[in-house]
Amino acid sequence: MKLMDATEAAAPTAERQPPVPRRRRRAIGLVGALATLIVLMVLSVMIGSKAIPVPVIWDALLNPPSSPDQFAIRDFRLPRTIVGLAVGVALGLSGALIQALTRNPLADPGILGVHAGASFAVTVAVGLLGVRSAQGYMWFAFAGALIVTLLVLALGTTRKGSSPVVLVLAGVCVGAVLGGAREALQLADPDAFDAMRYWNAGTIAGRPLDVVWPILPFFAVALVLAFAVSGPLNALALGDELAVAQGVRVARTRVLAVIALALLAGGATAIAGPIAFVGLMVPHVARWIVGPDQRWIFGYSILLAPSLLLVSDILGRVVLRPGEIPVGIVTAFVGAPVLVALVRRKKASGL
Amino acid sequence: MSSTPRARRGTALAAALMSASLVLTACGSGGDDSGDKAAGTRSVKAENGTIKVPADPRRIVTIGNTNLPFIDLGGKPVGVTEVSDSELDVLPAKQKAAYEAAEVVGSNGGEVDLEKLAGLKPDLILVQFHSKDWDKVGKRLESIAPTVSWGLDTEWKAFAGEIAEAADLTDALSRQTADFKKKVAKIQKAYRKTIDDTSFVDVSRGDWSDPGTFYIADIGCSEIARDDIGFDLPEAAKGKDPLAYESLPFEQIGELSKYDVITYPVDAGGRPAEPFVPVTKTNSWKSLPAVNSGRALGVFCPGNNSYGPVLRYLDSLDRALATLAPDDAN
Amino acid sequence: MNTPQPRVDFGRRALVLRRGRIAVRLQWRTVVVCTALTVALAGTAVLALMTGSYALSPEQVLSALTGGETGFVREIVVEWRLPRVTAALVFGAALGVSGAIFQSLLRNPLADPGIIGFSQGSYTGALVVILVVDGGYALLVGGALLGGTATAVGVYVLAHRRGVQGFRLIVVGIGVSAMLGSLNTWLILKADLDQAMSAAAWGAGSLNGVSWNQVVFGGACIAALLLLAGTLSRPLRQLQLGDDAAAAHGVRVSPTRLGLILVGVALTATVTAASGPIAFISLVAPQIGHRLARTAGITLVPAAFVGALLCLASDYLAQHIAPNPLPVGVITVVLGGGYLGYLLFTEARRRL
Repeated sequence: MKLMDATEAAAPTAERQPPVPRRRRRAIGLVGALATLIVLMVLSVMIGSKAIPVPVIWDALLNPPSSPDQFAIRDFRLPRTIVGLAVGVALGLSGALIQALTRNPLADPGILGVHAGASFAVTVAVGLLGVRSAQGYMWFAFAGALIVTLLVLALGTTRKGSSPVVLVLAGVCVGAVLGGAREALQLADPDAFDAMRYWNAGTIAGRPLDVVWPILPFFAVALVLAFAVSGPLNALALGDELAVAQGVRVARTRVLAVIALALLAGGATAIAGPIAFVGLMVPHVARWIVGPDQRWIFGYSILLAPSLLLVSDILGRVVLRPGEIPVGIVTAFVGAPVLVALVRRKKASGL
Repeated sequence: MSSTPRARRGTALAAALMSASLVLTACGSGGDDSGDKAAGTRSVKAENGTIKVPADPRRIVTIGNTNLPFIDLGGKPVGVTEVSDSELDVLPAKQKAAYEAAEVVGSNGGEVDLEKLAGLKPDLILVQFHSKDWDKVGKRLESIAPTVSWGLDTEWKAFAGEIAEAADLTDALSRQTADFKKKVAKIQKAYRKTIDDTSFVDVSRGDWSDPGTFYIADIGCSEIARDDIGFDLPEAAKGKDPLAYESLPFEQIGELSKYDVITYPVDAGGRPAEPFVPVTKTNSWKSLPAVNSGRALGVFCPGNNSYGPVLRYLDSLDRALATLAPDDAN
Repeated sequence: MNTPQPRVDFGRRALVLRRGRIAVRLQWRTVVVCTALTVALAGTAVLALMTGSYALSPEQVLSALTGGETGFVREIVVEWRLPRVTAALVFGAALGVSGAIFQSLLRNPLADPGIIGFSQGSYTGALVVILVVDGGYALLVGGALLGGTATAVGVYVLAHRRGVQGFRLIVVGIGVSAMLGSLNTWLILKADLDQAMSAAAWGAGSLNGVSWNQVVFGGACIAALLLLAGTLSRPLRQLQLGDDAAAAHGVRVSPTRLGLILVGVALTATVTAASGPIAFISLVAPQIGHRLARTAGITLVPAAFVGALLCLASDYLAQHIAPNPLPVGVITVVLGGGYLGYLLFTEARRRL
C-alpha cells in the first residue's frame, strides 16, 4: 500500500528545524499521496458491483445518458466518488484538528460528542417532529453536531481558559447522556429507528449531491481556519506557557480550531452518517510520516483520509457482489492492520 | 445495546417475511396448572409442548407477533405488546380499536413486564417471538397462565389456524380461509394467460435498507402470488438464503430490464411506499422498459401473516393486473 | 474483601483491624463511604423488592421473604424480584472492579475492558458459535468467553514489544476492536435472519428474566474472581506508580499485568455471559468511587460498591421510569454519564 511506502521514505522522529532534504521528501510524499488519491477516484468510477464496460462508462461521461447502465455511472458512481472525496477530506482534517487540540491519542471527532449530537438531533427530527427526507435530516444532523460541539466547548472552558482534558471529558459525558436519551427515544418509537437507519448507516452511497453542495462552503471556511491555526497549534504542542511566550493567543486558537473541527465533523456526519475510525487513524499515520508539524499533518490527512475512504468503498463494492458493504464497515477493516503495524514499528506517541 | 431495536425490527420483519426453512428445537414442557378447572380445558399442540388451554378463554394476552393475527381473527386481547405505528395505520378501524383497548405489557418479547402481565390475570397467553426471548421469560409466562408459543419459522396459514384453535376462534378462521380460496381461484381464472406467459419480479425497499439499495422480494406477499396463484417470480435456489436478504445497490436496477412486469410496494392510497420512493426517483428506474410501458405495477401489501391483510393484498393485486392489458383482463 | 494499603502512609487516618496474624489497614474515609454506600444499597434493594407492577403490600413481601407465603406471591417475590436484585448487586460490583483494574493498569480514565477488544471479541465468539456450530446457550457463552479472552490476549501480544506500554496497548486495542466490529457486522450481513436475530438478542443487555441459576453460577464465579482481584490489588497499586517503581518493589511487572488483565476480562465476561453487555458501569464506577473516597489512585472496594449501587438503581429506574420496561443499559449510560460529568466539572472548576 502507498501508505507504507510513504512511511519508508520518512525520516525518523521529530527535530525542531527539519533539514531541507527532509522537507523535500515530505513534499514528494505529498505529491505521491495526491497521485494515489486521483488514481483511486478514477477507479471509484470504473469499478462497481456491476461490471460495466469501459466504453459505456466513457460514453456515459461524455454524452447524455440513455441506458440504465449509463445512468448508473452518472447518477451513482460519480456522485459517490465526489461524496467520498468531500467527506474524506472533512473527516481526516477534523481528526487531525482534534488530536492536535487535545493531545490525546484516543481523540476522534466522536469523542467531542459530534456523532452523538448529530444522531440525537436526527432522532428528535425523525421521532418527534416527523421529518422524513434526507435533506431534512441533514440540517438537523449538522445543527446537532455544531450545537453539541459548542456546548462541549462551553462546558470545557474554565475560568483560566479551556483545558484539553476537561474538553475531552465534557465531550464523553455529553455524548453518553445524549446517546442514552437517543436510545430511549428509539426504544419508545421503533418506526423512527427504522427510518434512522437511512442516516445511521455510515455510507457514501445513495447520498444525493443536493445534500453535499450546501455543506461545501462550510468546509471551505473550516479549511481556511484550520490552516490559519496550524502554526499556533504547533506552538501549543509545547505547552500553554511556552505558547504564550511565543505570542500565541491560546484561547483564540482553541476556539477557532474547535469551530473548524465542528464544521468539518458536523458536515461529514450530516452527509454520510457516522463513519468512525478514519478521523482517528489517518492523523496518526500522517504524524508518523511527517513528524509533529501540524501544517504537514493537516496536508497529509486531507489526502490520505479520502484515499482510505475510497479504497474501502471500492472494496466494499466488490467483495459481496452483487451486494455491497457500507463503507463505514470497511474502513476499520482496511485501516486497522496499518495502524497496528505502525504502532508496533514506530516509537509511540509523538503527540 | 443498540442492537435492541434491531432485534425488535428483526422480529417484526421475520414475522412478515419468514418462510418455513429452519427447524427450531422445541423448548421446555408445558405448564398445565390452569387454575380454572371448572370451565373445562382443551389440549393444543405447540412449540412448547402440548398445552391445556381453557375451553373458552376470555382474558387473552398476546405477545410478539401474535398481536395482530389474533385481532385479525376477531379476538379482543386484554394485553398486547407494542406494534409499530406503520402497522397500526393500515389496520381496519375496528381492529385498531381492539388493539388500543388492550393494556400494553411491554415493548418486545424479552422486555415484557411480567408483573404487569400477571396483574391482568390472563387465562391464556399467546406468544410468538425469538427462542432467545423464550429462554428468558418462557418459564415465567407459563407460571402465570397456560402459554401457547410458536417459533418464528411457523408458516402463516398454520400459524393462523393454530391461533384460532388455541383462542377458540375457528368460526372466523373458516370464513377467512373460504374467502381466501375464492379470491385465489378468481385471480387464477381471470388472468390465466398473463400468469402463464409473463415473467414477474417483485422489488422492494425497507425503512431499514441501507441508502442506495433495494432488494428483490421473493418472500412476503409475493410468495403468495408465486406459491398459491402460480406467478412466475424469481426464487432463491434451494437451501440458499432468500433473495430478499441481499440488498442490491441502485447500480443493479438495470438488471430488472429482463423481466416483463415489475411489481413494487405502494401505500393504501396507491402512491409508492415511502421507503421505495428513492428507487422510483432514479433515472435508471425511469429508463427501464417495464416502467416506460406501464408494466410496473404498484401493489399494496398490509401484512402477510394472517388472512385479513393477505385478502387485502390479493384485492390490490387483482386491481393492478386489470390495468396490464385489456385483452388479458377477462 | 479488603484493600491492603501500601506501607507508605500519606498522613491519612487509618483503621487497623487485627485478628491473630492477619491485619488489615483501612482508610477512614473509605470505610465511611463504603458504609454509606451499603446503607444506600440496602435501601434501594428494599425499594426494588417492595415495588413492582404487580401490587403487593409490604407485609406480603416480608412474609414471602421469610417463607410465610406460598403460591404466586412467593413466586413473584422470591423467584422474580429477589434474583433480579441480587444479580444487579453482584454484576454491578463485578463491573465496577473490572473497570477499576483496567483504569489503574492503563492509567487512563477512558480505559475499560472494551478498550482491549474484549466486547467485540466476545461478540465475534458468540457470532461464530451461532453461525458455524449453531450451538445452544452454554456453547454460546463459552464461545463468547473464548472470543473475548482470545482477543484480549491477542491485543496484549500484538502490543508486546519489549514490554507492554499503556499507549501501545490502547492503540492496538482500538485497531483490533474496530476490525472485529467490522467483521461482526459483516458476519451479521452474511447470516440469515434468524441467526442474525439470535446474535442481536444476545447483544442486548438486560436483567429481565434473570433466574436463580444464573445468579448463583455467575455469583460464584464473580466471588472467586473478586478474591483473586483482592490478592492482586497490592501489586496493582504499585504498578500505578510506574513500571520501574513497581519492579523496584519486587513486582514481576509483565506476568502481574497479564494476570490483572485476565481477572478484569473474566469479571466482565461473566456478567456479559449472564445478562448481555451492561454499558458504562465499568467506566464510571471507578471514577465515582475514587472521587467519593478521595483515595490517591483508583481503588477496588469503592468501585465495587459504586458499581453495585449504580447497577441496582439503574435497573430499578429501567423498570419504572417509562410505561414499558427498558433494558438497564440505557439507564446506566444516562445516570453514570451524567453523574461523572457533574463530578468532573465541579472538580475541574475548583482546580483551574
